[in-house]
Amino acid sequence: MIKIEHLKKTYPNSVPLRDVSVEINDGDVIAVIGPSGTGKSTLLRCICLLEKPTEGRVLIDGTDVTDPNCNSDLARRKMGMVFQSFNLFGHMTVIENIMLAPQLLLHRNRQEAYNEGMRLLRMVGLAEKALNYPEELSGGQKQRVAIARTLAMDPEIILFDEPTSALDPTMVEEVQAVIRELAGTGKTILIVTHEMSFARSISNRVFFMDEGRICEDGTPEQIFDHPLNEKTRRFVRKLKVLELGIKSRDYDFLAMYTEIDKYCVKNRIPWKITQYLHMAFEEMVRQLTSPELPPPDIQTAIEYSESAETVEMSIRYTGPSFDVTRGGEELSMKVLKSTMPEITYTFDPNAEYSNRVLLSWHC
Amino acid sequence: MAGKRFRCLLICLFLFGMVLTAAPAASAEARTNGGKGIASLDELAGADIAVQTGMICDVLAQQRIENVKIQYYNAQTDALIALETGKARGWCCDEPVARYMGLTHPDVVVLEEELAESDLAAVFPKTEKGQKLRDQYSAFVDGLWADGTMAAIDAVWFSTDEEKRTVLDYSALPDTNGTLIMTTDTTIPPFSFVKDGRPMGYDIDVAARFCQANGYRLQVVQMSFDSILAAVQTGKCDFAASSITITDERKESVLFSTPDYRGGVVMAVLKEASAAAPEKTTFWSGIASSFEKTFLREDRWRLFADGTLTSLIIAVLSILLGTLLGFGVYMMCRKGNPLANGVTRFCMWIVQGMPVVVLLMILYYIVFGSVSVSGVIVAVAGFTLTFGSTVFSLLKMGVGTIDRGQYEASFTLGFSDRTTFYRIILPQALPHILPAYKSEIVTLIKATAVVGYIAVQDLTKMGDIVRSRTYEAFFPLIAVTVIYFLLEGLLAFLVSRIQIRVNPKRRKAEDILKGVNPDDKN
Repeated sequence: MIKIEHLKKTYPNSVPLRDVSVEINDGDVIAVIGPSGTGKSTLLRCICLLEKPTEGRVLIDGTDVTDPNCNSDLARRKMGMVFQSFNLFGHMTVIENIMLAPQLLLHRNRQEAYNEGMRLLRMVGLAEKALNYPEELSGGQKQRVAIARTLAMDPEIILFDEPTSALDPTMVEEVQAVIRELAGTGKTILIVTHEMSFARSISNRVFFMDEGRICEDGTPEQIFDHPLNEKTRRFVRKLKVLELGIKSRDYDFLAMYTEIDKYCVKNRIPWKITQYLHMAFEEMVRQLTSPELPPPDIQTAIEYSESAETVEMSIRYTGPSFDVTRGGEELSMKVLKSTMPEITYTFDPNAEYSNRVLLSWHC
Repeated sequence: MAGKRFRCLLICLFLFGMVLTAAPAASAEARTNGGKGIASLDELAGADIAVQTGMICDVLAQQRIENVKIQYYNAQTDALIALETGKARGWCCDEPVARYMGLTHPDVVVLEEELAESDLAAVFPKTEKGQKLRDQYSAFVDGLWADGTMAAIDAVWFSTDEEKRTVLDYSALPDTNGTLIMTTDTTIPPFSFVKDGRPMGYDIDVAARFCQANGYRLQVVQMSFDSILAAVQTGKCDFAASSITITDERKESVLFSTPDYRGGVVMAVLKEASAAAPEKTTFWSGIASSFEKTFLREDRWRLFADGTLTSLIIAVLSILLGTLLGFGVYMMCRKGNPLANGVTRFCMWIVQGMPVVVLLMILYYIVFGSVSVSGVIVAVAGFTLTFGSTVFSLLKMGVGTIDRGQYEASFTLGFSDRTTFYRIILPQALPHILPAYKSEIVTLIKATAVVGYIAVQDLTKMGDIVRSRTYEAFFPLIAVTVIYFLLEGLLAFLVSRIQIRVNPKRRKAEDILKGVNPDDKN
């Protein structure tokens, strides 16, 4: 069992890990997902002691491996790591890469080490490459050898740090197949990946990480189908989001107008939809900032989903129940409503912003 | 394949040598329209004058003749060659040197007007012991002048009769009062030169007679003229006699005895070409005669053999010790220990920033100034330091090329830092390092040519010694060069063998699977 307590890692100019506390059970297969630069790799590197945490502890089967008195070489033998860049030893053949650690560290004789190495190579389908040098292999083959090399030490925990990110798309599948086979063998596996369908299909648990924290920890169904966290939802649906806040009647309308423009151009949202967004924004916000109402506090969010080809705009604001879709200039509201399949208004007195208007368009 | 390349190299060298040996013949024609037929010093105004470094001739010539340009040469032989090949129109040197050269070079003539009176004497350190010895020596020399022995000595050494030119066996004298160490530059005949493998000459004759008369045994140490005064000042020797001119400036740092030769500073020029056209020699007989003079006469090949051995010993020991030193220091600095790195950076800054000659001189005269230690050991120490810092830099560079991922992969398998370095990192760094290492070895061998400054008789120095006897312009140089090429080839070949051994890709399948039965089914 791996127990992580308030793990924090800071560098002089960045903080990849802010505060991570989690327990990982034996046999868990965990997919770690999240945007780039949010500490996923750093978490793995702290677990296998390639990085020294700034604060916090990592306990493996009750032993604090981050304790300076702990023999890190011994602690690492329980773990194996597979890297994005393979890191095979270039001066050794494939079989020697696999035999070296069992011979030197587990004191196996050459024959035992060879037999075990060949068994593993057969498992990853590369027995005929035993006497080749790494530079003679393709990326996918190198990664499969790297996995076999890790397995040769028979680790209880295997950490995969983006194992398929450096591969040609045609080779991703062969490596994933090997990992998938491992997932059923009872070993504890942590895998950082950007392949969502792969993550979902092999794991029994998913960590969504953002800004150096585990934002959501749950089953694949929860994370991918019913995410509790707004950030998780946006990430797994691959949503592009623009948020605009208005706290005063004298807000800079032109600046926001330009931002919507820029956001639409960047995400290649059709010009027609851009026009509708402008129209809706102008109409709604004009009403909400009218002098008859109390000072405004409005949160606008535009979400674009490339896969579903939809654009959603949500406008949330404080105050008593007030449906802007019913007020306003009749003509312009009519034009606006005609552009989209639906426009909904909800009121929830307990939410931070009690009123919510949701508009959505199909591209 | 390596052998074939080596043979090609040898043939190229031989051709190159022949061309260079033939060159003097061509330059002999050039000199006919050079500076011949000069009759007085004033005619040399504005001309190039060749002098030996460390002599006072340059100052004298500049005082006496308008606008002369001085060319400095390391040996009188080179200055003479400059005159003969027309690179300089005059050669300014001590009267006895010119007088002696005149014996073998009939085309060189000495101008009548002397630039200065100059007397030669032995020098002693400014210590109480040096003072006593100086007084004893002066008294003895005065006696030689008085009874006419000095004239007899002069007659012997300035004759062409090789039979008579010999000194008593000074190293076997009874050491009733101890042994005296005398330094001398053996490239200044007839005062000091090597004959039959033994330093001898006018100065050594006088010194030997002095030692015989006063119950000393004499030990002669050969070194470059430039280093002699330094050797006397630092007490590396008891005295020096090497055709040293008495000057006021030198008197400030050392003690002079009574003059043992009264001469002057003179200017030598070339005679009119009409006189004594050199006898026609064919190319091959020229080479044969050069070969005979350089190698066979007086068994001079022994000098080359000794010099080669010395150069080789210095080079090989420096390479081995330097590699160990560089590796050891690298291992201490590898993990970024700030103290070790700071000290290393400082030492490397000193060692690499300094010319090797200066480093050797400092080691010989200052660091090991007070202990009696052989120049060879100092040379090995000096080159160990320079080669060690080179090896350190090479390792740093080579290990730096290894990707960080190799360390990480090794650590995560459970290897310790030490095992990671020796089993994973170093084997991959070596192929990056060895080619540069090989060329550094070649550089080191060439760099050892400066050890003559600290009294080591290496190959270059032996070449100079032979050249000062034979007055062959190029043949000894070519010979020395060829030997250097052979040494470099030999050591580079050894490194190539290592290079092949450390290349893992040259192993056969049987070597890789040693001790493994590939068909074992258990």
